[in-house]
Amino acid sequence: MKRNLLTLVIGAMLVVIFALLLFVFQVRQSEVAIVTTFGKPTANPITEPGAYFKWPWPIQNVYKFDKRVQNFEDKFNETPTADSVMIIVTIYTGWEISDAREFYPKFLGSVPAAQRTLESIMRNAKNAVVASHNLSDFVNSDPQQLKFDQIQDEIKSHVQAELSTNDYGIKLDFLGFKKIELPESVSATVFTRMTAERQQIINSLQYDGERQASEIKSAADRQAVGVINNATADAIRIKGEGEAASISALKIYEQNPELAIYLQSLDTLQKSLNQKTTLIFDERTPPFNLFSHLPTNSPSSNP
Amino acid sequence: MSDKHDHHDHDAHEPSSPEAQDAGSQALSEALRSSFAIVKIVMGLMVLAFFSSGFFTVGPQEKAVILRFGKPVGEGQKALLNAGLHWSFPYPIDEVVKIPITEQQIVSSTVGWYFTTPEQELSGEEIPAGTTLNPAVDGYVLTADHNIIHARATLRYHIDDPIRYVFGFASASNTVQNALNNALLFTAASFNVDDILFNRVDEFREAVQQRVTDLAEQEQLGIVIEQCDVESRPPRQLQSVFDQVTDARVNRDKALIDAHSYENQVTNGASATAVSIIDRAEADRTNYVASITAEARRFSDLLPQYESNPALFAQVTFVKAMGEALTNVQDKIYLSQRADGQPRQLRLLLNREPPAPKQETSPETPED
Repeated sequence: MKRNLLTLVIGAMLVVIFALLLFVFQVRQSEVAIVTTFGKPTANPITEPGAYFKWPWPIQNVYKFDKRVQNFEDKFNETPTADSVMIIVTIYTGWEISDAREFYPKFLGSVPAAQRTLESIMRNAKNAVVASHNLSDFVNSDPQQLKFDQIQDEIKSHVQAELSTNDYGIKLDFLGFKKIELPESVSATVFTRMTAERQQIINSLQYDGERQASEIKSAADRQAVGVINNATADAIRIKGEGEAASISALKIYEQNPELAIYLQSLDTLQKSLNQKTTLIFDERTPPFNLFSHLPTNSPSSNP
Repeated sequence: MSDKHDHHDHDAHEPSSPEAQDAGSQALSEALRSSFAIVKIVMGLMVLAFFSSGFFTVGPQEKAVILRFGKPVGEGQKALLNAGLHWSFPYPIDEVVKIPITEQQIVSSTVGWYFTTPEQELSGEEIPAGTTLNPAVDGYVLTADHNIIHARATLRYHIDDPIRYVFGFASASNTVQNALNNALLFTAASFNVDDILFNRVDEFREAVQQRVTDLAEQEQLGIVIEQCDVESRPPRQLQSVFDQVTDARVNRDKALIDAHSYENQVTNGASATAVSIIDRAEADRTNYVASITAEARRFSDLLPQYESNPALFAQVTFVKAMGEALTNVQDKIYLSQRADGQPRQLRLLLNREPPAPKQETSPETPED
């Protein structure tokens, strides 16, 4: 009887495996699945990965779609801005299937078919939004005036609105500029303008350099003169201090002004009599008065 | 198995012909038993093969994720299997997804760069540029002041959430690349040309990195930005005029440096002169005060002598001073008194300097 049991277990296992293959299907992490019963989609698409039950064909059918974010870029085309500048804009998007039940009948589950529709919607939205902005909204050094992100968001909401009204079952995750360029002929004009700008910068650099250099030099000269003037003033003050100090000597001279004046005169006389001096005397000047009369001990009567 | 069972029953029902039956049935049972053993071995092998088919290897440049009934096994980084030998349940229970990712991912943005091939990049040669830029071939970015420059970037990142990165995006690295393109475009649109190229190069790079980090977060790419390198240059068509600007800038800087060195020289010279002026004044003052003091002291010393006999003192000191003076003086002329006691008249021709010419030697002629 043991063998009987084993046979039964194995048989049952085979039946279970066979039944599983018929009644169970898997949904992978990256997939979304819809189940149709006699061709009609049932309640909700399955977005969570795992194993699910279904009735075998021909009662129920399972369709699986890639629910990952798809990249898509449109082709570049020339578009005028609000201030009539032609620019060439390329945008990229990331989109995903938001509702597989809507998506499936519209595009038969084909991603390229969906992207063809998406491209025309994107182009219309892009042209409309670009035409409502000036070029300075696209490029601007002032963050307040730069509307780069705003323009992207406008295009995105245009596209999303179009997708929603048509029930394409597609959701845009993000949309951004990939390229913003100018038509080929315009690039030459820009080059001419850039060259002129560079030339202006060169001139102003030269002028600026010369001006600053001469400013620095003249400031240095001024400073030097100031320093020397201050020093001269200080020197005069210092000498004045010395003279003030010498006034205390006057007090000493006051004891006998005659002697003081006499000594000063004597000094001055000595200093003034240098080698180049020619002296002319007569006999009254000492010591030459010796020539006329020698001193005697008796009081002299002669002058 | 059921066959054998039947045979056994049969054996029990007919015991009448034991010899022939026995031999035949024994042979049959023998054959069945051995064939059954073979079947068992084969089944065992098949089970073994089934389970061993679950072994797989992961190469060094890739990772793997096991999907059990379609759902990844493990969360976040733990879901990733590294290089080596691994085992999973065979299909349809488990499914192995191999992902060609390394520790560090790299993407580059070249939408803002002119057309060039990797060979030209390597050799460093440049194909001469035309006078215009064709948008279909040559990329560039527009700066905030409506200028055209070339810019490109390389982004290094690692994958933080592999499940999101691999199963959330049809081509995640393309999405990262577009985020980088957009970051470059956006940042260039908010910077002026000179800031990008010269003045705020680092700031520009950081702004690009910040923008791409923000986009990666917004788009939930499941990555962590490690590094972003940005290279930018003026259009090749304008290279020479841009070089001239650089030259002009260098010249300007040189002129300023020269001016500053002149400034140092002049001010240092002035300071030195000022110091010497003040030093001299100090010395003069010291000397002056010293000489005054010395004279005052001399006065004080002489005062008692003078006061004792002023006339004598004056006479003596005067004669002494005259004596000293006369030793120095070259020309000394003595005029004696006239016999009649009248003063003599003296006429001087005062033209002593220069003394060289002989004609002028009309010396002072003492006259009567």
